Amino acid sequence: MPEVSPTPPGTLGSKILRRGRRTVLGMDPQKLIKNFFGANSSIAIIVLVLIMVFLLREGAGFLSTYHHELETYRKAGLEFCDIADTPLKQQQTMASSLRRALSIEMEPLVKTARERRDAAFLFKRAHDEQNSDGTATFDASPLFTPEEKNQLKAELAALAPESTDLPATLQKLAGEFATKDREAKTKFKTIIEAEETFEEAAEPVAEILDELKTHATETKEAANEFHTLEAGRQQLLAAAASASGSEKADLLKEAELSKVEEPKYAERVETLLEKREDLVKALGDYVTAVEEAAKSLQSSSTHPEAAQLIASVEKAIPTHLADIQKASKDLAAWKWDEPVSFFRAVSSFAFGTGWITNSSWQDFYGVLPLLTGSLLISFVALFIATPISVTAAIYTNQFASEREKELIKPVIEFIQAIPSVVLGFIGIAVVGDLIKGFSQWEFLSWIPGFPIQERLNIFNAGFLLAFMAVPTMFSLSEDALNNVPRAYSEASDALGATKLQTVFRVIVPAAISGILSAILLGLGRVIGETMVVLLVAGNRIAIPDFSDGLGAIFQPAHTLTGIIAQELGEVSRGSSHWQALFMVGILLFVISLSVNWCARTIAKRFEHPKA
Amino acid sequence: MPESPSSTKPAPVVRIHDMDFCYGSKTALHDINLEVEYHRVTALIGPSGCGKSTLLRCINRMNDRVVGARVSKGEILVKGKNIHDADVDLTQLRKQVGMVFQKSNPFPKTIYENVAYGLRVHGVKDKIAIDEAVQRALTQAALWDELKDRLHDHALGLSGGQQQRLCIARAIATMPDVLLMDEPCSALDPIATLKIEELITQLARDYTVVIVTHNMQQAVRVSDFTAFLHLGKLVEFAPTEELFTNPREKLTDSYLRGTFS
Repeated sequence: MPEVSPTPPGTLGSKILRRGRRTVLGMDPQKLIKNFFGANSSIAIIVLVLIMVFLLREGAGFLSTYHHELETYRKAGLEFCDIADTPLKQQQTMASSLRRALSIEMEPLVKTARERRDAAFLFKRAHDEQNSDGTATFDASPLFTPEEKNQLKAELAALAPESTDLPATLQKLAGEFATKDREAKTKFKTIIEAEETFEEAAEPVAEILDELKTHATETKEAANEFHTLEAGRQQLLAAAASASGSEKADLLKEAELSKVEEPKYAERVETLLEKREDLVKALGDYVTAVEEAAKSLQSSSTHPEAAQLIASVEKAIPTHLADIQKASKDLAAWKWDEPVSFFRAVSSFAFGTGWITNSSWQDFYGVLPLLTGSLLISFVALFIATPISVTAAIYTNQFASEREKELIKPVIEFIQAIPSVVLGFIGIAVVGDLIKGFSQWEFLSWIPGFPIQERLNIFNAGFLLAFMAVPTMFSLSEDALNNVPRAYSEASDALGATKLQTVFRVIVPAAISGILSAILLGLGRVIGETMVVLLVAGNRIAIPDFSDGLGAIFQPAHTLTGIIAQELGEVSRGSSHWQALFMVGILLFVISLSVNWCARTIAKRFEHPKA
Repeated sequence: MPESPSSTKPAPVVRIHDMDFCYGSKTALHDINLEVEYHRVTALIGPSGCGKSTLLRCINRMNDRVVGARVSKGEILVKGKNIHDADVDLTQLRKQVGMVFQKSNPFPKTIYENVAYGLRVHGVKDKIAIDEAVQRALTQAALWDELKDRLHDHALGLSGGQQQRLCIARAIATMPDVLLMDEPCSALDPIATLKIEELITQLARDYTVVIVTHNMQQAVRVSDFTAFLHLGKLVEFAPTEELFTNPREKLTDSYLRGTFS
């Protein structure tokens, strides 16, 4: 810049010029401020990129680790055992259904006799311990006639202090119960027999499987040990390669010492394959036995609940048997050295129905139960929050007086200030009990899933999350309505439209893009929420049972966010479990990003010029 | 029309009688007397802030939207009926008195839906009736030939002049008696302005037009009668030719000459 000043020094003009020439750190101050602001905005972008890179780095190894684990699962023969074991697990649920049906059926027949016997024995104990409370209970009991009471008292009083003999009345009562019990058992003989055949049929299979499982577990442990030591040896070798002199020799020697043989899978798996025929045959026998038992399983039942249980077992048996037969075929076709495709690792993560960790058998990282939990909770929240926040926004923006606006807006926005952990308290202490209480009411029993079993469930979590989403959705919807040009409502008014017509035919349609993106941003807020779902959703890792239709929302569930919060602190860094949790994090990140992207796209698509 | 067309001078369609109008405690219009005749174009002129838009908005009670605005004295009669009577239905009044705004404001809907809007809010459901009304309104607004093949295009894709004519079509679709225009050309280029002015002349055959304009040449070109307002008072009201060639009031004269203090 030329230092020639055309104006004499001291005048106003020269002062202005001098100001323009001043520099800070060798830079024009305006440029400096501009760069400072620019740098701040780029920090946001850099941080976002760093987060993505970090997530990907931690999660990237997951698929290959998991693939490797699944390969060991096959080579060691665990998969072989699971082929037969998994369908057999259904048998246990069916057997327990039958047992429950049986006890429901027998209960009315034996109830009185059992209660009389139990009350009398309790009284004897109270008498022995000279407990006056017990005596009083017995005196008030409606189960006995006064004569019976007096007789028992007399017998007990006559008894020698240290005698172990039972008084005659007690013996009689015990006898009565035994008779009733026998009668009931004869009456429901068919169910009892079916249940027993059912359980016994699985025993030979279970016996073979137990043996095979022990063997397979041993192989797997050997394989795991080998992999750990081998990884350590590789590290020593790598260190040796960069070291020199005696240090190098030491390292090489150490590496040599830690060398172990890889388990001979082919040899070990022979033991399993030898038993293959036995296992297939045992499964065949099982099928025959169950078919036989199913025939005698007639639901002659009078009690509706028992009839329902038995019917459900009858219905489940054909599919169960088909599963078993398919398992026999799979067992026959199973090869230990067939390579596990990489796709299997991907699908086992994305579509796997079990998230099983820290298991002594085999860990599975199937994300599906968590994903369904997260999505169901979010949709419940959206379903509740959308009508509330959108109608509240319409009211506040279009109908409310200034004073009402001054009340409503800060109050709704204040909800955002409630810490989510406090909402969690409310969910556990208040909402859960309320929902359960409501679900007991007779006239609400038409709602699927009512009456509910669990206080902590998907609906409860969704309800609280709706509460958290309302401020976001309300404020953004209200902004969208506020941005509708006044000229639209003016034109509509001038055409003689009523206030409601103007609102629903002009203003809401003009703001619909903003409202939709408000809803989506609310969804994004809900999917990412952790504390409330961890406290309130019930944390059961299972896909909800949709057989009851919408009633599934009254079951507990676990979520993507919850599982990370719950487990990440306890897993060892770099393990497959750790990597799996990061994969869940990546999945969450992708979901949030796409929800936000959708919100932006919708907002753009419907954008109207400001008038 | 309830008035008899055979009488020598038909009764005015809009009659404003001794009206004062105020925003809160501030009086904006003083003692206005004005009669608007059937099928004539009446122009309201005057310097900025003189109250001409306010006066226009009194006629269809658009000022009701403003908190604290009210007519404090006198009355406004549309077809002989006081528009502030308790039994007046505001939606019916606005069906009788349509309005076009300074800036074109079509709804973010299709061309067809824009024109049909007035009918729909007044409860017309018959598809054929709506189709006919849309065609008639667009024809009267000189848009039918341009737009008949793209009735279902978005209205915001039209040019500025087309948008303003669409707003006129929207306003006349419900067949109002009076059409109020608030500086309808102020945001348009000269060619679009010319088209609108031609249109106003044609519209006067079927409708009574009251137009606010800040452009005196426009008033001369389109109007039959002109009212000059100044500081909330109606200074002079006369046939346009008379007012411009031979103003009775000194104030009018100096405004028209541009020697206004």
